[in-house]
Amino acid sequence: MGQRGNEKVIIVENLTYAYPTSKDFVLKKVNFEVHRGEVLAILGPNGSGKSTLCKSLNGLVPHFYGGRYGGKVIIDGQEVLNTSVSQLATKVGLVFQDPEDQISGLALTVWEEVAFGLMMLGKPKEEIRQRVEEAIRYVGLEGLEKRSPFELSGGQMQRLAIATVLALRPDVIVMDEPTAQLDPIGKFEVLSVIEKLANEGSTIVIAEHEIEEVAYFADKALVLFNGEVIAYGPVREVLRKVDELKSIGIDPPSVTELAHAIKKELGLEAEYPITLEEAVKIYSELLGVS
Amino acid sequence: MSVGVSLLKKTAVEADTFVQRLDGRVKFLYFLWATVIVYIFYDPYLNLIFVAVTLAMAFYARVAKPILQTLLIIVVPWIAFAVPILALPFGFPWNKTIIGYIDVFGNKYPVYLEGLGWGITWPLRIAVAISSALLFFLTTNQAKLVATLFKMKVPFKLIYMVVATFQFIPLLAKEAETILQAQVARGLRTDVGFVAKIKNYLSVVIPLTLSSLNKVQIRAITLESRGFSAPVKKTLLYEARLMKIDYIFLSLMFVSTAVLAWVYVNIGYSPIAGLSWIWGG
Amino acid sequence: MSIIIETKDLWFRYPGIDTWALKGINLTINTGELIAIIGQNGGGKSTLAKNLNGLLKPTKGVVLVEGLDTKTTPSHEIVKRVGYVFQNPSHQIFESNVFQEVAYGPRNLGLSEEEVKDRVRWALSLVGLEGYEDHNPYDLDYGKMKLLTVASVLSMKPKVLVLDEPTTGQDHAGRHLLASLVKKLNREGFTIAIITHDMRFVAEVAPRTVLIADGQKILDGPTREVLYTVDVLKKAAIKPPQIVQLSLALREHGFSFSSLTLQEMLDEMRKLIKNP
Repeated sequence: MGQRGNEKVIIVENLTYAYPTSKDFVLKKVNFEVHRGEVLAILGPNGSGKSTLCKSLNGLVPHFYGGRYGGKVIIDGQEVLNTSVSQLATKVGLVFQDPEDQISGLALTVWEEVAFGLMMLGKPKEEIRQRVEEAIRYVGLEGLEKRSPFELSGGQMQRLAIATVLALRPDVIVMDEPTAQLDPIGKFEVLSVIEKLANEGSTIVIAEHEIEEVAYFADKALVLFNGEVIAYGPVREVLRKVDELKSIGIDPPSVTELAHAIKKELGLEAEYPITLEEAVKIYSELLGVS
Repeated sequence: MSVGVSLLKKTAVEADTFVQRLDGRVKFLYFLWATVIVYIFYDPYLNLIFVAVTLAMAFYARVAKPILQTLLIIVVPWIAFAVPILALPFGFPWNKTIIGYIDVFGNKYPVYLEGLGWGITWPLRIAVAISSALLFFLTTNQAKLVATLFKMKVPFKLIYMVVATFQFIPLLAKEAETILQAQVARGLRTDVGFVAKIKNYLSVVIPLTLSSLNKVQIRAITLESRGFSAPVKKTLLYEARLMKIDYIFLSLMFVSTAVLAWVYVNIGYSPIAGLSWIWGG
Repeated sequence: MSIIIETKDLWFRYPGIDTWALKGINLTINTGELIAIIGQNGGGKSTLAKNLNGLLKPTKGVVLVEGLDTKTTPSHEIVKRVGYVFQNPSHQIFESNVFQEVAYGPRNLGLSEEEVKDRVRWALSLVGLEGYEDHNPYDLDYGKMKLLTVASVLSMKPKVLVLDEPTTGQDHAGRHLLASLVKKLNREGFTIAIITHDMRFVAEVAPRTVLIADGQKILDGPTREVLYTVDVLKKAAIKPPQIVQLSLALREHGFSFSSLTLQEMLDEMRKLIKNP
């Protein structure tokens, strides 16, 4: 994985938030940090606050929604509370769940769509051209520049959204369940791009249910339940807390849960794997020995 | 793709003729100019000339079909109804010049010039306005339209709302179809009475509206996250610039204006048909 | 076992499009079965499903629902036998309370208000939403909205239930809830067809799996067999659930595993340890 710097790109301190229309707090004293080059996975059942947390990283919370806000979110030294969403657009790139809902509607072609953010920020044309070409190549959409964004498949559309964000060269890429609406091929395409970003040192925050995939590239994991942080730490440690995760309705990777079951029901102790490859090694040794 | 084409999706080929290449502002000016001129004059023949010129450009630009269809739906029935009602005795208070007689059910009715003139001239004025507006609409590329409106200092958010809506209409239609299927799967029947048909309508419109509102919200936060509200001058990929073709066209319009002005002063407001001015005409 | 839905050499293409979406599909579904239909988007699985309830009619070939030809039988007769739950709940929900929403289907069937009330109560209790009659559907969380759409189709008492991508957008708990619901409904006598690309869901829930790719039926058999047909799945770009992947990998180390679920793997390991 990429180099991990000591620089803290994201600092979240006691973040507490309630939407204006509800009396319940959707985030309660959330604390965590993300260092440059780190990948943080946010796990939790629906309604636990994952989306709201993602939106609080680029200023939508509180600037777009209003509501009651407490605590601090600091992105690359700037406090979100005092920075507008458009100013944060070049620091935090946010990718949402539904690829079609992210298409601006102003662009006739894929090329123009990737240029959208840069156009909105008034960047000079030469810079736009360079960055757009770079971003399109990065996500693997070369050859599709002149197509209408609406003609793309789900996976292609979501990669288009990622390219639009990458063109802005943000410090952090935040993704809110980017593969939830995609078919298996789409999921594979998007996860490949995310893995590439992770391996090349990008700082990523990703909320996902596809825990078995995320285990491959996440450094740390944060588990939310009812707006509170239930677990936070290196991904390996968090995913191994099988009972705790299951009690709030999260399934750890099957291979991890299996190790837990083997220990409980067969009395055999083995290191808990979090990926398939680890599992094959651990279980073949375990069974060979027994 | 031009805004109109993506809306109508009837023209399979986007032509690249001088009409498409004309700057949006020039085409918009043509629409305003033609509409005003046929209002100043009161002459159905002049109106016909304008419609013919506009249609000729439309044919050349391969967008004539939708324009003709629109005219067929709006203007032709109008003339067909207006003329009998106005030209015949019971229609029009200013009728006084008889130009002929027609035979209806064995009775002879006089046909009046004033009513006839009114019945043809007004719909044709509208035809000029519609055809020139549609010409602008159907031959102006979406990006150029945005650039045009931007150059005219229309607020960017407004431009966005107008232009983006057209892109999303096909999506809306597709969603409506899915919703209808979902309700048919729950027993919705189309062979029912009026009241039930209203309920059918609601069962599609309500989910569609709510879904659209939801999507609009998500799109809004996406746009915001990409700097939509940044208080800077947006960089547009197309520059609205006047080219040689625009200057030629504008010169033609200028010359025509001069000629028409001379005609107005020396011949009158109804140079060919020779109609006399009627209040509101 | 009697046949409840049968397609004979089903060919289908959408109006105005030259390519065939379905090419000669022969599928037989028996009463009481629980099958999963898998395949990539665009490969034809949704198109096939919509041909099963008369929403789409075959271009060539025949689809018989309880012996009735979907081309010649009026849609409402087919629709009341085969219930179709669409993927997106917000595409179906339009009433202001749960009761009205679930009552919509049976009312369309022309039943008496008494009968409708009974059906609503029955359907809501089946899915676990008793007591929610007066709730506003839009106040429900996604998982409950999903249950509501299932209830609103169940209230028509169809013999067959088709679920279109029921687990998309769900969290793990929601997935488990749906899995138990589907199994329960099957036990209660409903024939169920699930269109999905959630392989773990398939492995845990469906005894039979059908793979549709490029408009054709490629595989059709017991789920265990289908999910272990490695080369075909790879060609269709489908990845089996992690437990199956683990089994296959362990086979290369000399172990013989053929588990579909975690529980099965545990049991197989237990046996292996007792008798090495």
